[in-house]
Amino acid sequence: MGPEGTLPHIPRLRRYARLLTGDAARADDLVQDTLERACRKWSLWRPSPDGQGLRGWLLSIMHNHFLNQIRDQLSERDLVELDDSNQPVYDPFLHTPARLDLQQALAQLPALHREVVLLVCVEELTYAEAAQVLGVPTGTVMSRLSRGRESLRSLMEGAPTGAQPEQALHLKRVK
Amino acid sequence: MRDSKTMHTDPPYFPTSDDLHAWVDGQLPSDRAQAVADWLQHHPVEAEKVATWRAQRLGLQALGKSTLDEPVPLPMQHTVLPVRTAWPWLQSLAACLLLALGFTGGWTLRPTATQLVGAPTISPVFVREAIAAHAVYVPEKRHAVEVGAQEQEHLVQWLSKRLGKPLKAPVLTDEGWSLVGGRLLAGEAGQPRALFMYETTSGERITLHVSALPDSGSATAPLPTTLAPNPGQSAFQFARANGIETFYWVEGPFGYALSGKLARAQMAMLADRIYPQLSH
Repeated sequence: MGPEGTLPHIPRLRRYARLLTGDAARADDLVQDTLERACRKWSLWRPSPDGQGLRGWLLSIMHNHFLNQIRDQLSERDLVELDDSNQPVYDPFLHTPARLDLQQALAQLPALHREVVLLVCVEELTYAEAAQVLGVPTGTVMSRLSRGRESLRSLMEGAPTGAQPEQALHLKRVK
Repeated sequence: MRDSKTMHTDPPYFPTSDDLHAWVDGQLPSDRAQAVADWLQHHPVEAEKVATWRAQRLGLQALGKSTLDEPVPLPMQHTVLPVRTAWPWLQSLAACLLLALGFTGGWTLRPTATQLVGAPTISPVFVREAIAAHAVYVPEKRHAVEVGAQEQEHLVQWLSKRLGKPLKAPVLTDEGWSLVGGRLLAGEAGQPRALFMYETTSGERITLHVSALPDSGSATAPLPTTLAPNPGQSAFQFARANGIETFYWVEGPFGYALSGKLARAQMAMLADRIYPQLSH
């Protein structure tokens, strides 16, 4: 199988990227970059017997690329904080309502939490598969999942979660 | 939590937070899942939390669902499928001319058609679209088609309307293939395309991709009507890519491409059955 074997995976990659970035055009750029990288690095891919190998490989390429994009936007310190606070990576909503719908709440999650929530809930990966895609231990997947889910719940119920949205906006503006 | 082998009530079972997540995500073995379910019955606070997680999960899946039905954008197709020229319309024009002149290895189906030289060096663009569509949608379990066969009449009307010409969904039940349904796709230049999918009871699938080609006399490539195979002596063009066999032909205003991962002889037989049903 050559790079054309990635074709059947594209609709799911696009779905994941769109939920991850919250922006259709940016998502397709991410998928396009992922496919180009996959084609260039095709010789590195080793088929695995379970058939999930290629999808996982593509997802991990996308994850690395996504992470690089975020790194470009944020300092290292902020990146560490991504995992520790609820500071949103991007905030398309200038006026944060008290109660968010699911899509808005998802956009408010730290990127690393959003990734895990989507890989587990939407892409239906096992925790071990998600850990492999993200290159972290399974325990990290569990803690990000747990915090991601709790943040979603708080955001949708209108309860404050750690950093206030206003504060987060302020921090972003100061940067 | 490790000694889950016991089903007695004596050692009280306390699921960990990880257990609760795994329960929501269907990642617990069935005995542990049952134990968590029992435990949740008596712990309403946690039960409510878990119900919220489950609702999030379903909600997120619903958010992403519509993306799956969108056709794969052309730049992505071109990235993973080789493109031979930079100008698809030129390629299409060249292919049509070559086909008309009989230069592309067009062949006549014979009962013993075994030694086919592979695809012509240039296939019409619609054939590449058909192969891509086949590769993308055949593996889909839940989203293989947009409109199912149970709404066949609506499906055919809808696709006919979008392609601007009356279509038919061929019947292949005698050959053991039933219609799964169909979907609307976008061609390389955004033109509407129709895709019908058929399957056997054992789950094999074929697709029939239909393109409305530019009218003769229009500014674009004039289509030679002589491309249409004669019923008695069907001449189909043949392409193969990525293990997918594609038979294609032009009939009236349409370009048809039948794709599947079947033996070539079987594909030829099916193409032979389909062709007369679609001729006008």
